[in-house]
Amino acid sequence: MELSDNTSKGKVIASGIIPFVFVIIMMAYIFGPGAELLDLGIPLPEITIEKVDFVDSEIQATVRNTGPIPVEIAMADVNDRIHPAAVEPDGHLERYEIALVRIPFEWNEAEPYIIGITVGDGTRFEKEIEAAAPALQPTLDLAVFFAIIGTYVGIIPVMIGLLWLPFIKKISKSKYHFFLALTAGLLLFLAFDSIEESIDVSNESLAGSFNGTLLVATVVVLSFLGLYYSGEKLVKRANSSKLAKPVAIALMISIGIGLHNFGEGLAIGAAVGMGSIAFSTFLIVGFALHNTTEGIAIAAPMSRGKLMIGKLAAMGMIAGSPAIFGAWVGGFVYSPFASVIFLAIGAGAIFQVILVLMKWLREEGDKNLSSASVASGFAVGMLVMYLTSILV
Amino acid sequence: MQFTRSNAMILLVSITIALSAIALFPAISQAQSEEKTFVTHSGAVVTTSGEVIDPLYTVSTVDFDPDEFLRNFEYGRVSTSETGQTIREYTIIAEDDKIQEISPGVFYNVWTFNGTVPGPTIRATEGDIVRINFINNGSKEHTIHFHGTHPAGMDGVFEPVGGNGGQFVYEFEAGPVGVHPYHCHVMPLEEHIVHGLYGVFIVDPKEGRAPADEMVMVLNGLDTDFDTENNFYAANTIPFYYQHHPIQINSNELIRIYVVNMVEFDPINNFHLHGNLYKYYPTGTDLVPSFFTDMITLSQTERGIMEFEYEYPGKYLFHAHKVEFSEKGWVGIFLVKDNSENNQEVDYGT
Repeated sequence: MELSDNTSKGKVIASGIIPFVFVIIMMAYIFGPGAELLDLGIPLPEITIEKVDFVDSEIQATVRNTGPIPVEIAMADVNDRIHPAAVEPDGHLERYEIALVRIPFEWNEAEPYIIGITVGDGTRFEKEIEAAAPALQPTLDLAVFFAIIGTYVGIIPVMIGLLWLPFIKKISKSKYHFFLALTAGLLLFLAFDSIEESIDVSNESLAGSFNGTLLVATVVVLSFLGLYYSGEKLVKRANSSKLAKPVAIALMISIGIGLHNFGEGLAIGAAVGMGSIAFSTFLIVGFALHNTTEGIAIAAPMSRGKLMIGKLAAMGMIAGSPAIFGAWVGGFVYSPFASVIFLAIGAGAIFQVILVLMKWLREEGDKNLSSASVASGFAVGMLVMYLTSILV
Repeated sequence: MQFTRSNAMILLVSITIALSAIALFPAISQAQSEEKTFVTHSGAVVTTSGEVIDPLYTVSTVDFDPDEFLRNFEYGRVSTSETGQTIREYTIIAEDDKIQEISPGVFYNVWTFNGTVPGPTIRATEGDIVRINFINNGSKEHTIHFHGTHPAGMDGVFEPVGGNGGQFVYEFEAGPVGVHPYHCHVMPLEEHIVHGLYGVFIVDPKEGRAPADEMVMVLNGLDTDFDTENNFYAANTIPFYYQHHPIQINSNELIRIYVVNMVEFDPINNFHLHGNLYKYYPTGTDLVPSFFTDMITLSQTERGIMEFEYEYPGKYLFHAHKVEFSEKGWVGIFLVKDNSENNQEVDYGT
């Protein structure tokens, strides 16, 4: 019996492995003797200038090989005029390898520049910078500055939004459903917003080889699934412990919104870093108004439990303070790739929260999601967000 | 290109300091042997742990030697015809499969006459018989179309020569006196020219010209990414070459430059000389100069002869005053050496 068990186990393992073996054989053949059969077309070099920093008497371009073949960085130019330059650590870039091209250049603040990099076959790639601004140095002053911005954009508006709690507490059940649906509408808008933003960033600064849109889709789904799984556990524990279900839901909403606000902080930090200061002042006012509505999203589920000011404030912090960290990251160590990932995680998190909210609404609202209060709440939520987003 | 004396001073001083630092602190320089330096436009010395990519000031050589081309004139295999005319016979082979390094690290598919861009400088005296045995070893059709006077059948336009060994003999009487381009005239013409199928044809007057230090400069451009805009400009193909390899000439010696503009895509080119003016003979057809200037404008295949002498030794730039061209390679330096015994001991250059 034991023996047959073992053999059947072996069979299972073998049958699982055999296809892999064939895949490996096929790959070996394609790369080896079969390479000539597939030798059609000419692979073209491609590099992406992911980032341009303006430092003291120098322009620094971060260059990544995003093509199918290794490239040699041969030359650098500024505004299509050739300049002596250095490439560190060296000019040979394997796929996805990154190098820093240092171009000594007395640049002028606020002027536009086009940075060009020529590779070994003479192909020139360029990146346009709308306005040169000195790269931000992580000084304490600037860190404090970003913290203040983050507070204005994240913490204060969310806290103000939470002040609607007593109001929501006093209203009727159907009106309460309206507010829960409104929250879901607000969140849905934020999710779309995050996805749009992450696709924008990937189109602007990530090479085609990253498959930006699919990267966003993948990360959104993974983040959704991960939080869905851990969220269910949290709710289950909430049921068995003293932690009330509304609190668990509000906590998940706070985490989702927090991830979203991290993305907003990134955008603000990056805007300051790229020198569009006026733009970011506008951005800050817009985000502040916009984010007030996020407070309602947390307040709505909490309104059915006991009034827990401490917990509420903590959730406000969870939702709001990531804006500060986002601004630091965006301003000091901006990386388009990381931005895309964070924004997509935020979107996935929000989708998960929406699902939880909808489930709860369904339970609360006698298995009915098509009541007038729910439908109108959802619609109003989207609309309010859209209208406040025009300010951004 | 602004290369003022003070910039040059700074450059020199910084180089001197760098060299003396290395000499004084050999231990340090050895310890930092991984570090490389290069000089910026403003003369500052920048240190890097990586690679220097500098086609401008860092001395470098590539597949083609513009110094060798500069003063090289091909007079052909000489014989005399029954009527007593001098016959100059040449063999020119066209190819279109070569990949040459045309600027440090940049490789480009050049189409060549006798393996180089520009092709050989063909030189004859007015009235000589020029006989070109043309062999097309390329994969496409090519011809040689000479500017100048010749019968229709020798024009290299309606007689395309097939690739992979096709042959044609061009034969005509050299004339008129002057400097002329020759180039392939197969359609699409722009493609055949920008890839490098061109060269210079000089016809000397029978009485000759005054002795001089003679040189040929073909002003050309290279569109390495095929977007119908030149990525590089140069005198004699290699960008910045004569900047890091200054052309050495003597003071008080007549310099004669045969200059031919072969730049495509851009409507004009020009030639500015520093610290001096030159006599200019458009197309070289007249023995009396038309201009005394430091700036001429040249359209496509426009060409002429420049003559000048430097009085003071030192370094003098020459470049396109269309500054885009000079900052993309069409810039060079004449290094004038003191040739005069009687010259006062005054150091004018830096």
